[in-house]
This record gives sequence, structure tokens and C-alpha cells, in this order.
Amino acid sequence: MAAVAATAAAKGNGGGGGRAGAGDASGTRKKKGPGPLATAYLVIYNVVMTAGWLVIAVGLVRAYLAKGSYHSLYYSIEKPLKFFQTGALLEILHCAIGIVPSSVVLTSFQVMSRVFLIWAVTHSVKESEDSVLLFVIAWTITEIIRYSFYTFSLLNHLPYLIKWARYTLFIVLYPMGVSGELLTIYAALPFVRQAGLYSISLPNKYNFSFDYYAFLILIMISYIPIFPQLYFHMIHQRRKILSHTEEHKKFE
Amino acid sequence: MKHYEILDAKTREKLCFLDKVEPHATIAEIKNLFTKTHPQWYPARQSLRLDPKGKSLKDEDVLQKLPVGTTATLYFRDLGAQISWVTVFLTEYAGPLFIYLLFYFRVPFIYGHKYDFTSSRHTVVHLACICHSFHYIKRLLETLFVHRFSHGTMPLRNIFKNCTYYWGFAAWMAYYINHPLYTPPTYGAQQVKLALAIFVICQLGNFSIHMALRDLRPAGSKTRKIPYPTKNPFTWLFLLVSCPNYTYEVGSWIGFAIMTQCLPVALFSLVGFTQMTIWAKGKHRSYLKEFRDYPPLRMPIIPFLL
Repeated sequence: MAAVAATAAAKGNGGGGGRAGAGDASGTRKKKGPGPLATAYLVIYNVVMTAGWLVIAVGLVRAYLAKGSYHSLYYSIEKPLKFFQTGALLEILHCAIGIVPSSVVLTSFQVMSRVFLIWAVTHSVKESEDSVLLFVIAWTITEIIRYSFYTFSLLNHLPYLIKWARYTLFIVLYPMGVSGELLTIYAALPFVRQAGLYSISLPNKYNFSFDYYAFLILIMISYIPIFPQLYFHMIHQRRKILSHTEEHKKFE
Repeated sequence: MKHYEILDAKTREKLCFLDKVEPHATIAEIKNLFTKTHPQWYPARQSLRLDPKGKSLKDEDVLQKLPVGTTATLYFRDLGAQISWVTVFLTEYAGPLFIYLLFYFRVPFIYGHKYDFTSSRHTVVHLACICHSFHYIKRLLETLFVHRFSHGTMPLRNIFKNCTYYWGFAAWMAYYINHPLYTPPTYGAQQVKLALAIFVICQLGNFSIHMALRDLRPAGSKTRKIPYPTKNPFTWLFLLVSCPNYTYEVGSWIGFAIMTQCLPVALFSLVGFTQMTIWAKGKHRSYLKEFRDYPPLRMPIIPFLL
């Protein structure tokens, strides 16, 4: 879902700050865009993020070629993955201060779900690391395309290929990412139960309890209503944005 | 005599043509006429405006005073299924009252079977039940006899949203307070007495404000006036805040949280505080917009701060 959500909300069709909240009809909002300083900062931010995820992609390929197998590829890119995915928290700030025209709530939801998976599942439960490759690959490809999309949009020079990639590859990458995420959470479950990880039980002086195992199961269940909605929203966006561009090309 | 046509705000489809309407007629009467031709859209569901993207016209607006020509065009938007505020309030408040008691009496299938229908040995647990029940009984009675609502209805989906919130939190809090492994407050009877005092004072305060607001508005009217302190000392908080009812409400729940020393109660108070602050800021803004002479010292919900 973290994979799905990240692309779903950002449906900007070129120009302006890049990311538009899901549900906003691009025609009815006033296109104000960030000022020149903010634009410069955002370009740098998006370039750095694109580079970061490229580093992760290259790291994965090199590790695979060196080792010849899929095992332990995660360890070769663990640090840049944590760094750049956590860095995406800045995007919440961008929405909050208004330099990116997206909903703070939606962006928070997306980024937090990614950060949750990286730190509260993969990092916290070492044994879940084997299943991680599926979503790491999905996220890496998605993020390279997404951040380059924003970079080009900010510079008002969006190649059709990037727009196409952004609104087409998700068809495969979403389900792939979601599967990876669910498999990873599922793999972590027995170890969470065993260790009582992040759980607190009664009695205690704050009269509160939390069962992380049950919480993870609830998270997995929540994918059922949320994933289809986000997926079909992107399909709808794809039809709107790609056909719109086709028509424009016909008249040129 | 004017003619009115009603178009769909989105599709511009002609929905209704009303000829020979009395100039003194109000929007409410137009809505009633419109319902006759489209019975599925009862008046509470209709939003009529002069501009498809503009603000809704009020029921009391007189047609004659509208800035239109001989044939006026009104745009219609369906607000969706509506439900009365009274119904929503009664449902969302009756739930917590009943649900808390299920946990208090330790009805089967909540806690282990050996605890079924047992009673807590802690005084504070019984006190908490009285306070919680009193709070919601008060709310139900106020809904029936005190409040004067500006709007008759709200969208139907709100009842599901609101009930999930109230009922969910009530169950969550009640589960821990009435749990066989409940731990009473660290500072014992002192803490409980202080917290109870805060709770009672804030409940009285909240009720006083509701009464003062009711007296501002005559029955059946929708007038709005600046609220001022009355002889009742609890209302003197109006000197410092626009929405002292919310201030007192937050205070009540803080009292309840301290009394039970229960984290879920504190979280419920926090969420409630956040929502009430949003409402208070909105109300404060409308007061400032509507009244030039609005007292400048007042803050929305917390004196001097927020």
C-alpha cells in the first residue's frame, strides 16, 4: 500500500509544484505554484531523491551480479534505503508550508506507511528481511520515475516518456509492491508474537495495553479496502492524463 | 410575479419551471414546490443557489430581494440523504451511556469468564461509572430540552462517522477502567478527589454556558448575538473565550483522565480537544466577521492562548 499510495496521490500533470492530492480535479484549482526560491529548493530536493534511489537501484544490481543470488541483497542497500525513504518525510513539510499543492493528510499517510514498513517492520524484525526484495524493487523503480517526473515538471520540461512511465508502470509495480509489503509483515508476525515486540500488557499504572501482533494483522486487513481504491484511482488518472496528451499531440 | 427555473448545478439540465410565484415567497417555499415535482429530493436535501458554484441560499431569503431579472435561474445541488441533528445527537450519546455500562457490569465475553458480572473493589471505578453516565445523560437531556439548533439536518454519512468515534472511544476507555487488572491512581484518594472536583465544576460550567446560549436565542428563531457573561459565575469565562462550553468540556475530560489515570481517556481528551479547537476557531472567526464590536480580549477556546 505504501507503494500504491505514493503514486496515487501524486497525479500532477506537469507544471507547478509537481504533486497534486488525489481527488483534486486539476481544472478547478488555481495554479499558483511555488515562488522561485521554493522551486529551486524543490528541484534540488527531487534531483537528490532521484539520485538516491538510483544509488539503491545500482547497488541492488551490483550486489546481484557479485553474489549471483537474491539472498541478502537487502543488506547491500539497507543504509541508503533507510536514509532516502526516511528523508521523504520532508514531503509532509513541503505540503504543510504550501510549496507543494498536495494534501498534508494524504502525503502523511503515504510517507508514514513507507517509513512504518522500513523501521517498524523490516528494521525491527530482522527475520522479515528475506521477503523485502519484492517491495524494495517496486519502490525503487517507482521512486526513480516519480522524483524525475517532479524534477522535469518543475522545470516545465516533462518528457512524454516519463509521464507515460509514471502512469503505466504502476499497473505492475503496485501489486508487486503490495505483495512484498504484505509478505514482509506476515513474515514478521511469529517473531513479534514470540518477543512481545512493542507490546504492553496489563496491569500497569497507565491502564493501557497494546498488542503489536494484533495491530500488524489489522494493518494487513486494511490493505483490502484501501489498495483497490488507490489502484483504480490511478487507472482512472491514467485514462484522463494520457488520453488528454494524445489529443493534444493530434492537434499539433 | 416572477418565473423561476431550476437547473442542475452540474449538468445544467432544466429540472423545474415555476411560473407565477409570489414575490414575497421564500426559498423554503420554492423548495417545497420543487419537492412536488421531484419527491425524492425533500427540502432538507436541496441546496439552491444563484450561481452554480456559489453559496447556498437560506430558507428565510425572500425571493423579491434576490438580485435577478424577470425569470430567475436557480441552481440545484443534491446534498445527499439528510438526517436530523437531534437524531444524530441522541444516537451518538446513547451509545456510550449503554456501552460503558456493559463493561462496568462485566457482561460475559468481555473479560475472562471468572469475572462475569463481578464488581470492582476500587471506589474510583464506581465513581468513574457515575461520572461517565452522568455526562452522557446530561448531554441527552440537553439535546432534548436545551439546545436550539441552527440547522435542522446534516448528511446521513455523519451518523456513521460520529457514532464510530463516540461508541469506539467509549468502549476503549470503559474496557480499561472496568478491567479486573485496573490499577487505581498513583496518588490515591487525593488525586481522585481533586479530579472529581475539576470534573464537577466543568460539568456545571458547560451546562451554564449551554443555558446562557439558549437564552440568547428565542424559540424557533435562528438569530445570532454575541454571548456575554451573566449573573452565573460560570459564564464569566465568556470574558476570555468565545466558546467556553468547549473549554469546560475539555476540562471535564481532563478531570476524568486524572481521576481514572487511564491513557485511553487522555487520548480521547486530546482528540476531542483538537476537534473542539477547530470548531472554536471557526466560531470565533464567524463572530469576528459578523460583529464589528466583538470583544477583542477573547480567544477561541483557551484564555490568552488558543
